[in-house]
Amino acid sequence: MERLITNYYETASIILFGIGFATLLLHSNLIKKIIGMNIMDTSVMLFLIAKGYIQGNVAPIIVDEFKGVSEYVNPIPTSLMLTGIVVAVSTTALALALTIKMYEKYGTIELNEILEKGDE
Amino acid sequence: MTIIKSFPLIGVLILYLIAFIMPLIKKNSLVKFLSVISFSTCLILFITCLRYVIYNGSYFYKIGHFDAPYGIEFKIGIIECVIAVLFAFISLMVSWYSCYSIEHDIDERKIPLYYLLINILVGSLLGIVFSNDMFNVYVFIEIGNLASCGIVVVKGKKENIKAGLKYLIMSCLGSGLVLMGIAFLYSMTGHLNMTYIHESLIKSYMNYPQAIIITLGLFTVGLGVKSALFPLHTWLPDAHSSAPTSSSAILSSLVLKAYVIFLLKILYRVMGKEIIFNTPILNILLILGSLGMIMGSILAMFQKDLKRIIAYSSVAQIGYIYFAIGLGTELGVVMCIYHIIGHAVTKSALFLCSGSIIEKTCQKEITNLIGVGKEMPYTLALFFISSLSLVGIPLLPGFVSKWYLAIDSIGVNKLLLIIIILASSLLNAVYYLPISINGFFDEENSGGKIYKSKEKTIKELMPIAILVIAMFYVGINSEGIINLIKTALA
Amino acid sequence: MKDKILNTVVGNLIPFIQIFGIYVILHGHLSPGGGFAGGTIIGVSFILYRIVFGKEFSQKKLKFSVLLRFVTIGVCIYGIMKGYIFISGGNDLHFPQPPLGTPGNIMSGGFLLPLNIIVGTVVAVTMYFFYCLFEEGEI
Repeated sequence: MERLITNYYETASIILFGIGFATLLLHSNLIKKIIGMNIMDTSVMLFLIAKGYIQGNVAPIIVDEFKGVSEYVNPIPTSLMLTGIVVAVSTTALALALTIKMYEKYGTIELNEILEKGDE
Repeated sequence: MTIIKSFPLIGVLILYLIAFIMPLIKKNSLVKFLSVISFSTCLILFITCLRYVIYNGSYFYKIGHFDAPYGIEFKIGIIECVIAVLFAFISLMVSWYSCYSIEHDIDERKIPLYYLLINILVGSLLGIVFSNDMFNVYVFIEIGNLASCGIVVVKGKKENIKAGLKYLIMSCLGSGLVLMGIAFLYSMTGHLNMTYIHESLIKSYMNYPQAIIITLGLFTVGLGVKSALFPLHTWLPDAHSSAPTSSSAILSSLVLKAYVIFLLKILYRVMGKEIIFNTPILNILLILGSLGMIMGSILAMFQKDLKRIIAYSSVAQIGYIYFAIGLGTELGVVMCIYHIIGHAVTKSALFLCSGSIIEKTCQKEITNLIGVGKEMPYTLALFFISSLSLVGIPLLPGFVSKWYLAIDSIGVNKLLLIIIILASSLLNAVYYLPISINGFFDEENSGGKIYKSKEKTIKELMPIAILVIAMFYVGINSEGIINLIKTALA
Repeated sequence: MKDKILNTVVGNLIPFIQIFGIYVILHGHLSPGGGFAGGTIIGVSFILYRIVFGKEFSQKKLKFSVLLRFVTIGVCIYGIMKGYIFISGGNDLHFPQPPLGTPGNIMSGGFLLPLNIIVGTVVAVTMYFFYCLFEEGEI
């Protein structure tokens, strides 16, 4: 139990993942499902960025002089997550555009009503 | 001849460059011509690379000027080259067929966009197959996500958009789980390159007993959602049945397989045999695979729409592939790759045949297709031969896979599995054969129809015929292909 | 009255936003920022222009076909540069490349500078397209 509290970044990340997943499954409004998907992606990024933090070191930007390798935080997870953020944004954009098209065709964005209408 | 070493990379780059020139071109016929040229160039490049690798052995190809743990590298071996040749060949045939039939499915102004998406999709699948770096594979998976959702929704009807949105959300869930698995592996070992992760995991896996099980679970569920493992396959029938014909052929025969290849790479190149045999992951894959085989066929029997039947049969065939991985022996992995090759050729021929039948007769349900054999004899004959392969008639690749899987399950001493293989073959016959039999032999209803009235010209049936000839080649030459794959794994 | 104030203020503000965006792109290899962030800033300036001045003006100045040509040619040049450096690296042939210089100058870091500029253009144009798509239903 103490391990869960000392690694509080990872615990928060898993709780956020659970919240996002529950939002994705339980709400029937399409916009809320897309918000749930975004929360899940953000929680995975938080997990990986938190893995790069080393206690007591500073951000990896050269201000006055180069201080040697052991004074900086690990920069690799941050740069990997830049790609992840771009991917999440483009997936959200495509999903929102598809939601607009569904509203034009079906007239509603609640998933229950769409499933009933779609069987006609 | 060191320039041959760069051929895989040049192939992928050519696909992407030609993809991005397409929005500038106004004439549709030039766009189609460019797409076919790009796929045939890739096929020639990959065949030369395959011959080079058979003579000289596999090699690592570094990208840019940075060496292995700092930079990205490609690993080119025999299995990767064989699968790349398969992908290039099938996409060439499908895009040749789609030159004639794409106007019936989508709007005229969206044709350059469609070919752009197909090029990007096939390029990203080749990237997944070749790459040796975990995060590089994740980037290619995301590109493939967006492109494959694009080719489902490009046809603007209601059910396409609903199916496309469901596919997009479930795929995004899957790749989020894969990213979490990559994060776990990075935090355990500190490397992102597959060979380096393997070396440092061998030294230190005793320290992380539960973390390895969690990682394997995350990867299996994430890749299982994207490649339609049994309980996670719910997006597949809608997406594959409402998409345009050529895009459902590419989706069902190529896209699902690339993720299975990535799962094979993780199980055997990153983790290695000792770590896997301590965890129950192979038994879980075996159980889920056999459930998929039986439930896929049972659900297919209740469908009335022709394309949905073929889509559910894809779920059953992916069950075969996971079953072969789950057996755990070397022959299992060889048969998995052989079944990938056989199923890809067969399923694309089936989808193209059914697409041309639906387009010419404007009927989608099988009860309305009685007597279609009189109007389109050649197309229905090709459909019949391809469905025989899935049932398991000798001389065709389906029979060879089932035979070797049965031998392998005797070797592992689990005789119950032979009953499952036989049961799924019978169920396959129950829903495929009535389509062809009703098409050819129903005399009283087809009295009013004229012979060969709605047949397509020979020029348009050529791609399907070449695919069926390739299927015969794969089935007859099975010994050679299996020995080739065995030398790669030994 | 309100239109006049808004037009004058925004018309004088947009060039400064764009200069700041170009600064972030060009110093991408020296300080935080780079192609994505700078491209977003320039894209925001396009969207602001469209919101304030209306649809007809912005369709005259920022035509769809011209922007599409920018994007496709930009991505092709990006692909060719990447292919050049990958193939020369994989075969250990050392083809000429832009100078590596001392860290801290602008003209250092080899290929990073041209690639950042191309990424910035593509991101800006893509953001503007998405805004037009959401406002009207299609471009």
